[in-house]
Amino acid sequence: MLQCSRMEPAEAFEHSPDAVEAAELARRVGAGSPRHAREAEEELCRRLAPRIRLYGLRHLRDEHAAADLVQDVLLVTLDGLRAGRLREPEKLASFVLGVCRMVVIEIRRAGARRARLLEQYRGDLPLAASPRPLLDTDRLRACLERLPARERSVIVMSFYEERGGDEVAHALDLSPANVRVIRHRAVGRLRDCLGGKQ
Amino acid sequence: MSCRSPVPAARLVDYWLAELPDAEANAIEEHLLGCGGCSSELQWIADLAGGIRRLTHAGVLRMIITPEFLSRLESEGLRVRQYALPAGGGVACTVTDQDDLLVARLSADLAGARRIDLVQCDHEGRELARIEDLPFHAGRGEILVQESIEVARALPSHVMTVKLLSIDDQGEKLLAEYTFNHTAAR
Repeated sequence: MLQCSRMEPAEAFEHSPDAVEAAELARRVGAGSPRHAREAEEELCRRLAPRIRLYGLRHLRDEHAAADLVQDVLLVTLDGLRAGRLREPEKLASFVLGVCRMVVIEIRRAGARRARLLEQYRGDLPLAASPRPLLDTDRLRACLERLPARERSVIVMSFYEERGGDEVAHALDLSPANVRVIRHRAVGRLRDCLGGKQ
Repeated sequence: MSCRSPVPAARLVDYWLAELPDAEANAIEEHLLGCGGCSSELQWIADLAGGIRRLTHAGVLRMIITPEFLSRLESEGLRVRQYALPAGGGVACTVTDQDDLLVARLSADLAGARRIDLVQCDHEGRELARIEDLPFHAGRGEILVQESIEVARALPSHVMTVKLLSIDDQGEKLLAEYTFNHTAAR
């Protein structure tokens, strides 16, 4: 489990080994030989695809829409890198985030651009999606049943509805701050019970 | 992939549930797109949310829910068998293969209660199980108990008593009692 008492997102990104490697990959896509560029594109897609999918799930709350988002964002990102539109490769994450925002808006509007991009580039996309094991549902059930009743209700209603503490707090006559404390405690218990990340 | 300044787990949960101010959410999103370690943490949270949704749809969790949550589940097409009982009431109940969720709505005067326990007793009054410290909204005057549909389907025909107890420094006080005359699923 990762623990940190404070967060410095921009600084952490700028200096993380992950970000440095991604910047180098982005550089190779824009300037490398065709073979090296292709390898770099595949590696970038492998790294970025699951992160873009999570962004999509968070904003669109739909697996299919998130999968569409992954394809679209990778297409636009690679297109931008090939065309040299990212002048500072160290800012790749910021660039991808901008593309994510743009594509989410377009998906919500069901715009025509997505269909056009897919039509144009679909066969060119080096996606290597690998099936990811899901959380063991039986184990999760056993862990949920071990939670105190209050924590179980708060965690299930929060995550099922994917809503913030205010609404759950109102429904259960608790304060929003109390709901967040209960929720955090429950997530910690579930993590311990499930044996950490799977 | 290591991260020198990982996003704390609680903030990732806040982010997932859309509770953060835009500026902080944006900073986290940029960090996540560049960080495999923190993305992996968020993936665990997303998987947890997915698992909870699957279990909720399966109706196998025993838990206290709210009327709003029940309405949400019904609006998603889940078939709910529910029994609403006044304080002191009884009901003939069962469960079938056509039911997705089983819910008891227990009415009681909850005003002034600080802690409420739910106790299940057999027909001779012996305590079988207890859920301590239920979440409740005193102003609503009812508690919604979702029973595991899987457990309920396996039960034989029997009579069960459920009690709501108010717990305070003075001890236990009976708020209300309910009788369930259960006929086994066929």
